[in-house]
Amino acid sequence: MSEPGQSQPQSDDQTHFGYKTVEKQKKASMVADVFHSVAGKYDLMNDLMSMGIHRLWKRFTIDCSGVRPGHKVLDLAGGTGDLAAKFSRLVGSKGEVVLADINNAMLKVGRDKLRDKGILGNVDYVQANAECLPFPDNHFDLITIAFGLRNVTDKDKALTSMFRVLKPGGRLLVLEFSKPEFETLSKVYDLYSFHLLPKIGKLVANDSESYQYLAESIRMHPDQETLQLMMQHNGFEQVTYHNMTGGIVALHRGFKF
Amino acid sequence: MPAPQLLTAGIELALNKLLALDPASQQRLIPLNGKRLRVNLDELPWPLTFAFSDRVDILTDEHQVDCTIELSVTTLQKLQDVSQLSLLIQQQELSLNGDMHTAQSFSNLIKELDIDWEEHLSRYTGDVIAHQSFKTARRFHHAALSRLHRFGEILRDTAMDEKQLSAHPLAVETFSEQVNQLRSDVARFEARLLQLEQQKGK
Repeated sequence: MSEPGQSQPQSDDQTHFGYKTVEKQKKASMVADVFHSVAGKYDLMNDLMSMGIHRLWKRFTIDCSGVRPGHKVLDLAGGTGDLAAKFSRLVGSKGEVVLADINNAMLKVGRDKLRDKGILGNVDYVQANAECLPFPDNHFDLITIAFGLRNVTDKDKALTSMFRVLKPGGRLLVLEFSKPEFETLSKVYDLYSFHLLPKIGKLVANDSESYQYLAESIRMHPDQETLQLMMQHNGFEQVTYHNMTGGIVALHRGFKF
Repeated sequence: MPAPQLLTAGIELALNKLLALDPASQQRLIPLNGKRLRVNLDELPWPLTFAFSDRVDILTDEHQVDCTIELSVTTLQKLQDVSQLSLLIQQQELSLNGDMHTAQSFSNLIKELDIDWEEHLSRYTGDVIAHQSFKTARRFHHAALSRLHRFGEILRDTAMDEKQLSAHPLAVETFSEQVNQLRSDVARFEARLLQLEQQKGK
């Protein structure tokens, strides 16, 4: 069902940008504008918007990662490096973590943050588009993409690219906003994200449009079952998902065999 | 809300803050670097996996570790005395699988934690205030312990001598011995009675 004010893509060259329909080739730069705008206040806004719970969602992702010393990890759309910081310690000096983001501003914030924390040596920073990853085939033991897949223009293409660079036996973890399991929660969540969230964005980051886009992009993102099917269609096996906070966020896990 | 992650986040934050307050802890972390230790507490539905680097990360995963310890919270308190380790294993209060050295290094990391609280407070308040605060706190602590001890004695005397609500430990011991003696006598009497009944039956 369409949301009020939502338009549908009329051709294969068009896609969603929140509730708007835009040319596919323009979406990446529009998303980039959003993240350029919020990069400096990204961590603060995440803490404010989720009341700190995003840290627990990310911890759960790490608990499900099965990462070991010596592993190679790709943290896609890694933003300000929350996951990469922890992976860096868990893989140790013999392992490798690649923090990749399409957005240079986010990557710079992430790099500065990790260096300030003394995390050096086993972390590389790569500006990369998830749809065409610049890495060899069968390279990573683990790929994570946290709150990034919904901003990707062609999600199937991105999943195919991730499948290619993942080692056989490796796993993909997709942490993303999803569909609340309960109707009441869904209504409260709508009220919060469409009315309160842009106001917090305006107050803290002086940018309500980016947070309006955030709320809209969450609604346009595939629900739990659809994303599970998309992962399966792109070659991933044993695909499961785990709802958190009533389905507001879901962690999808798939393996390459 | 993911409850296990909330718990591990709390423990991890507290543990790393404490380790950061003790500069020598970095040296004790070196033998643990890259190791993983799992603690299965009887009271907790999920395992706690300690992953060591230049700090400690706590996970709730169930992947391969270097050492696994299974115990209860009450046994955890007894572990402060490492000489009790073998006894606790014999009594099956503690199960230890894998690399013993990892468990010992972790035990040393916690046991040898030496935090100079006065020094840390002095960074915010200055030396004089920090010293005076700790001196007052120590004095208060000793006074409180002394009063608590005295209160315990008064309570015991009142309960045993004045109100006669409870018995002296020696009296309880004597009574227990008498009960044991009576139990033995009854058992012997019962056996004798049974023997006589069997003889009469023949």
